[in-house]
Amino acid sequence: MILLKALLLYLLAFGQGIAGEAVLTEITARLARTPIAQGDFHQQKHLKVLHKPLISTGTFTYHQNKGVIWKTLTPVASLLLVNESKLLTGQGEQAVPAAFGKVFKAMLGGDISALTEGFNIIGTDQKSSWQLELIPKDEMLKKIISTMVLSGDTELRNLEIREAGGNITRITFTNITHPAQLSGEQEADFERLSP
Amino acid sequence: MNVYHPKLTAGLWLVGMLVICILGSQALTKDWLETSFLALLPSSEQQPEIAKATRQHNELNNRKMIWLAGAATSQEAIGHAQKLKQQLEQSRLFNKVVLEFPQQQYIEQYRQLFLYRYQLLDAQTQEMLVKNPEALIRQNLEILNSPIGQMQAADLERDPSLIFSRYFSAQNPVKLNLEQGIVVLSDQHRFWALLLTDLQDKRLQLDKLETLSSLVNSATGQIKADGGELLVSGMALFTAHGAESAKQEISTVGIGSSLGIIVLLWATFRSVRPLLLSSLAIGSGLLAALVICVLFFGKIHILTLVFGASLIGVADDYAQHFLCDSFGEKDWNPRKGLKFILPGLSLGLMSNLLSYAGLGFSPFPGLQEVALFSAMGLLFAWLTVVMLFPLLLTGFAFDHQPGILKLTTYWEQHWPLWVSKNRRWLGLMLAVFIAGGLWMLKPQDDVRLLQSPPAELLRTADKIRSLFPMSPDNQFFLVSGKDQADWHQNEQRLLERLGALKQQKALSAYEGLSNYWPDASQQQQNYQLLKHKLYGSGLLERYMNDLGFDPAAVKAEHKQFAEAERNTLALPEWLAAADESKRQLWLGCDEGRCQSTVTLTGISDISALSMLQNLPGVAWVDQVESVSSLFARYRIRASGLLLVAFCLATLGLGVKFGWRNSATIMSVPVVALAVSLAMLGWFDQLFSLFNLFALLLVLGIGVDYGLFFFMAGDRRVSTSLGVTLSAVTTLLAFGLLAISSTEIVHAFGFTVTAGIVTALLCAPLIGLKEYKK
Repeated sequence: MILLKALLLYLLAFGQGIAGEAVLTEITARLARTPIAQGDFHQQKHLKVLHKPLISTGTFTYHQNKGVIWKTLTPVASLLLVNESKLLTGQGEQAVPAAFGKVFKAMLGGDISALTEGFNIIGTDQKSSWQLELIPKDEMLKKIISTMVLSGDTELRNLEIREAGGNITRITFTNITHPAQLSGEQEADFERLSP
Repeated sequence: MNVYHPKLTAGLWLVGMLVICILGSQALTKDWLETSFLALLPSSEQQPEIAKATRQHNELNNRKMIWLAGAATSQEAIGHAQKLKQQLEQSRLFNKVVLEFPQQQYIEQYRQLFLYRYQLLDAQTQEMLVKNPEALIRQNLEILNSPIGQMQAADLERDPSLIFSRYFSAQNPVKLNLEQGIVVLSDQHRFWALLLTDLQDKRLQLDKLETLSSLVNSATGQIKADGGELLVSGMALFTAHGAESAKQEISTVGIGSSLGIIVLLWATFRSVRPLLLSSLAIGSGLLAALVICVLFFGKIHILTLVFGASLIGVADDYAQHFLCDSFGEKDWNPRKGLKFILPGLSLGLMSNLLSYAGLGFSPFPGLQEVALFSAMGLLFAWLTVVMLFPLLLTGFAFDHQPGILKLTTYWEQHWPLWVSKNRRWLGLMLAVFIAGGLWMLKPQDDVRLLQSPPAELLRTADKIRSLFPMSPDNQFFLVSGKDQADWHQNEQRLLERLGALKQQKALSAYEGLSNYWPDASQQQQNYQLLKHKLYGSGLLERYMNDLGFDPAAVKAEHKQFAEAERNTLALPEWLAAADESKRQLWLGCDEGRCQSTVTLTGISDISALSMLQNLPGVAWVDQVESVSSLFARYRIRASGLLLVAFCLATLGLGVKFGWRNSATIMSVPVVALAVSLAMLGWFDQLFSLFNLFALLLVLGIGVDYGLFFFMAGDRRVSTSLGVTLSAVTTLLAFGLLAISSTEIVHAFGFTVTAGIVTALLCAPLIGLKEYKK
């Protein structure tokens, strides 16, 4: 068993060393890249101090140029709007946490090349699915997030954020579609982000 | 009584100058040049505590400089900023260069204030607890479920209700994006990395400013070469620009008028002696003025030197008058010459000193300096002429008729005749001209009109303000109370009103201590509020249980809350933990008074804000406004002074020569003043306090010219030469001031030029009849 793990680790490391670029290119090629993506999310947050996870559901919208709408429907309805330089929540305008805007958008948009800027990436690519492990380069960000794991097929399906403090957030994306245009409501939400 | 002892007086003069040189060699080794424009503002007009607060506010703000390194990506911008930081640190100009967010300091602050978390509530949380504590719980769920929740809920274990997280983030109301611990701002085109510096030298000295200017230039060039852009702003840059242009103007005016005088004197006398003598008179006058000013004031302002440089033209009058007198008589010698010109010279000096004494009564330190500088310069130039010239002019004679003498002779004889022939329509035209000009004359006292910073600096400052709207405006509130509780109450009342005004967009932000530090009674109220609405009501317990906290954790939290009831965070303790910009808001308690400042950012409705000064313990401090209104009040007072100086001169001349003659002599300065004012009106020039001081000068010089001609008797030809020479030299000096880019200096030059030309035109009309009879 231990041997198997070691072998896997070795392969992973090897794969990254030799074929890192290639894996990324392959995964990128597989991902459906369109200007707009939308769907539902299911988020589970496992906080160390709480003996049950915080579960929330809702919808998300990604727009290549405009950013992301993160609309939580349960347990409390709330709206989060973010682009590279601006973050709006129910509490008003907030500072965009280190690289959050960029990373969040790049992940949802499947823009992996943008992720390589801020993260060291270890990728594995199998026939029907792929997985990427992202480790922040930024020292400040590292203090908060130790690893992010992305996995999927032609879409990003799962996202796992492992915090340095031990908290884990797992997000599953379903019903992903790629409409040609934003709805009126989505347009109006993005409008609030523009300066 | 025979007072003519050329050797003795020359000896005395030499001893006097030696003393001045010795004093000067000591005084001028120290740091004697003042360049800070703040030093020009009077402090006596303000209440001492406002003056103190203003000084403190200025000292803090004037040292601050904001640097933004811009590039197409944030990485590049950070790269530029890191290189820039090194460069700035190496310059040793700054005692603080902040690029990375001081993380450690914030952790420390968090740790210290955390102990008092049940006593510290931000305004929003307070309101929510009072109105609807359920909303707080709802908001907590929202935060915890948010994808960025880990930032705000990082300390959920120790701060389950997130009240302290709220208080702590409310301490920094403007949200800034951090990358690699560096603040990165952005607009449509670029990302900007922010660098904040404090200059080491709060007094903004000239040599440091020069180094700063060249540092800014080289850094700008370097970042540009690397494909980026650098924006820099700070009061120091404006001062540096002002000092630079003032310095340049001194040398332009100084060199220009010296050259003019040299050419003029050479053309007239064709001898080196008058030239050397004039230079000696001017030089000793300037040296004495400088040394005495530095000894008296400790420091001399660079603007004083600008005005002082123009003194060269006036100090020359006495020398010219003496020298030109030698044309008046065939067997002229210094003894005869001095005897003839001494009364005129002395009366001229007296009238000039009288005018300058007027300047001395101004509360503006800069003008007092100009008064003393000018008075001393003239006095010593006069002393040099009277005491030293007799000896050095021994054997001085002319055997040529200079071209200029022919010109002034012709001028002196034909101009008055022409005027008297055409006096009807000339008088009418003059009256219309004066009336029209005066009608169009409008005083402008706004101090901002007097400053003329280059457009580029202003543009950069505006751009930085739009990217980083955090540097406080010039105006602020001073809040006081008889003790801490009283002060706290007063400030809270003000902040409440400011909050409402902020909603109405009268300003974009304000900072007051009491927003962050509740006083002892408020802390108790906060605690009680939490007790009634959250901890005692079972709401917190329900919330914690629902979230999935351990029952032991719920119990522990309630226990900690109960134990913290007696805690009080004292102001000094809060201040010690606070960051610098907040600490500086507190001015301290002394003699039964506690004071703080409330700073304002992005003011758009100044009158709505200034109305708040009616609140108890609140004073509105608007330096621009108060200096402008001071300018207005002193412009009016200076007008009175001008009148007094005029009456004194009339009175003095009346006693000596009789009222009729006095009126004749005084008609020269009167017309000169009127034309000067009318010119300001016609040419839509700035009319402020500074023009009035120029008018005082016109009065003095006008009296001089009128007097010289009145007393000329049969020496009208040499007098005409002397007056023309001195008028031309004065024009060279003041005329050059009119080209200055500094508004004050320009206004001064323009006014004096108009006045002197008029005085020169009017003076030959005086004393004509007496001579003809």
